[in-house]
Amino acid sequence: MHFDWTEEDRAYRARVRDFLHRELPPDWPEIARHGPGSRAQTDFSLEFCPKLAEAGLLVPHWPEDWGGADRPTWEHFILGEEMWAAGEPRGAQYMNVNWIGPTLMRFGTEEQKRRYIPPMAAGRAIWCQGFSEPNAGSDLAALRTRAVRDGDDYVIDGTKIWTSYAGMAETCFLLARTGGPESGKAGIAIFLVPMDTPGIEVRAIPSLIGHGDIHEVFFTGMRVPATARLGEEGEAWSIIRFALANERVGIPRYELSARVLEQMVEDLRQQGRFDDPVIQSRAGAAAADCEAARMLTYRVVDGKARGAAPGAEASVARVAVVAAENAVMDFGLDFLPEAFSGGARPAYLSHHERAIVTGIAAGAAEIQLNLIAHRFLDLPKVAS
Amino acid sequence: MRFEPNEDQATFLSVLDQMAEDAGAAWEVPADWSRFQWAAGLDRTLEENGFFDCAAEESLGPVAAAAMVHRLARLPVTLEVAASALLRPFLPKGLPRPVAVIDDSPAAPIRFLPVAASVLSLSGDAVRVAVLAEGDVRPVDSLFAYPMGVFARTIGDWQRLDADPNAVREAWRVALAAELGGTLRGGQDAVLAHVRERRQFGQPLGSFQGVQHRLAGAGTKIEAAYWMTLRAAQGVDPADSAVALGYVQNAATAAVYDLHQFMGAMGLTLEHPLHRWTYRARLLKSALGGPSGNFGLVARRKWRAA
Repeated sequence: MHFDWTEEDRAYRARVRDFLHRELPPDWPEIARHGPGSRAQTDFSLEFCPKLAEAGLLVPHWPEDWGGADRPTWEHFILGEEMWAAGEPRGAQYMNVNWIGPTLMRFGTEEQKRRYIPPMAAGRAIWCQGFSEPNAGSDLAALRTRAVRDGDDYVIDGTKIWTSYAGMAETCFLLARTGGPESGKAGIAIFLVPMDTPGIEVRAIPSLIGHGDIHEVFFTGMRVPATARLGEEGEAWSIIRFALANERVGIPRYELSARVLEQMVEDLRQQGRFDDPVIQSRAGAAAADCEAARMLTYRVVDGKARGAAPGAEASVARVAVVAAENAVMDFGLDFLPEAFSGGARPAYLSHHERAIVTGIAAGAAEIQLNLIAHRFLDLPKVAS
Repeated sequence: MRFEPNEDQATFLSVLDQMAEDAGAAWEVPADWSRFQWAAGLDRTLEENGFFDCAAEESLGPVAAAAMVHRLARLPVTLEVAASALLRPFLPKGLPRPVAVIDDSPAAPIRFLPVAASVLSLSGDAVRVAVLAEGDVRPVDSLFAYPMGVFARTIGDWQRLDADPNAVREAWRVALAAELGGTLRGGQDAVLAHVRERRQFGQPLGSFQGVQHRLAGAGTKIEAAYWMTLRAAQGVDPADSAVALGYVQNAATAAVYDLHQFMGAMGLTLEHPLHRWTYRARLLKSALGGPSGNFGLVARRKWRAA
């Protein structure tokens, strides 16, 4: 057991930081204000990610055949920490890097791989994920969007909601039911759908996390070829489990929280208030929450680096990440409420918008607690 | 960054687990209904086989020592492990154990004093040890599930150690974090076994979401505390020890409340060992300043505050 970085790790982190220092413009905090799904950040990502790709810093952990360099899992994670802490200049493309690309590599046909992976590796692809529906959020297996086979095509009808990045995405990673209404998890398939396919309508939902981030997406008589299906009919659930196991610790959210906490402490120090033992204790507690999330996340990454199958540890980490983000957000709101008005501290607002999403996105925190109880603590399944 | 033990650590912990399992299985209700059961046999075996020397061994080190403290604190029986495992590199060779540690007022009741062969004082700016003699110590009744005692007379023969008091205190902070983390894990394991079996309303208690979420929340914190403690044992960052101890102490209050809630009336009896864990945790959660003191220390170390 060894819990420190190697010299190589440190050098890699320094290289990523240098790149960010060089490439992020002075008005970057304003661009990053509303998160990865905003128009400003998406547009920026389409200039920034090709530069990252050029420098070998977009998909270093991917296989060489797909534009990567077969670099270790830990390097990918260090890269993710630095990107997220900087406000995520990759915009929505972090999803491609973290899980859409690897999922296509594992489950896609040769044609799908050739079509979709190179633009991701070049930093020029924006995807959205069509998972949640008006009546299927945490209970994802209850989704009703129907995909009916018609010759060589499928005809898809239904509604998705809370869809991040849909307004700017070119392609949707879409879940739809190919089995009967009662077919549950076994009746779902995945479709890779170009967003300019006739029959798609996207409406942005004004929200607390910035206009343009979450959407409703309507599919009406949309026709896609059967070759757009990823995997077999009924195979979606196992593919999604693979994808989400990567995603649950995909965003190193505690890293941004820890750095925002540093800024809050500095503000309090400048105001001559950091000598207050109550404030010190609360700052220490928030820092400890960030470290708890960090260690649990690193444990998952360590398992991934050793090739271990993803387990309930990812849910354990996720719950700690939610606690860490909230601890830092509440510390700021309790002791620096004035910084959340007037625009002087865009980083605090930006962190706040990201923090209020954490316990909801990619599987609500309460679902994670169910998973922890059942898979980590070996308790019986929830009573019906 | 490597979370798996090396080969020596894996062997060491595996043998330890085997011994701990035997000791845990051997637990029985003491005839006198005492609040703790001193595991003299296991203590002797650990000593004779050199387990307390692990922190100083290169291939094991303080990380393995902290893992050892955590594992043994999960047992329903009582052992003095924390000081012996993590402070031994600072102690004179051959200092007899068990070792009681004074880290607060020397006048306050001290944990393990009635069973200790030596005492280590971390009070003030020097580290001192004394070997105890017959009649030096008087046991006292206590709420807590440890042998507690006070000095019956003034100890004259203190030996000042050539050790950095801050380094010793740091190792002690890690030791306490490991002990409290293991104690909470032990209590939680007992309660998990209970709620898997105990049925009400036709269902196991552990299948109710209201129970599951609280145990899962506490389980997350206990798990985080374990890894934070091992990192603190390695000494990666100066704030790590206070981070680990403050975090696990902060988690203890709600965790202990829930453990008793979910064990119900059985947890109020002396027949069930739950109190062995919870009344250790109720003492350890205030050690070295408690959560607020340790979090304040985190702030001072991270941000060099006054």
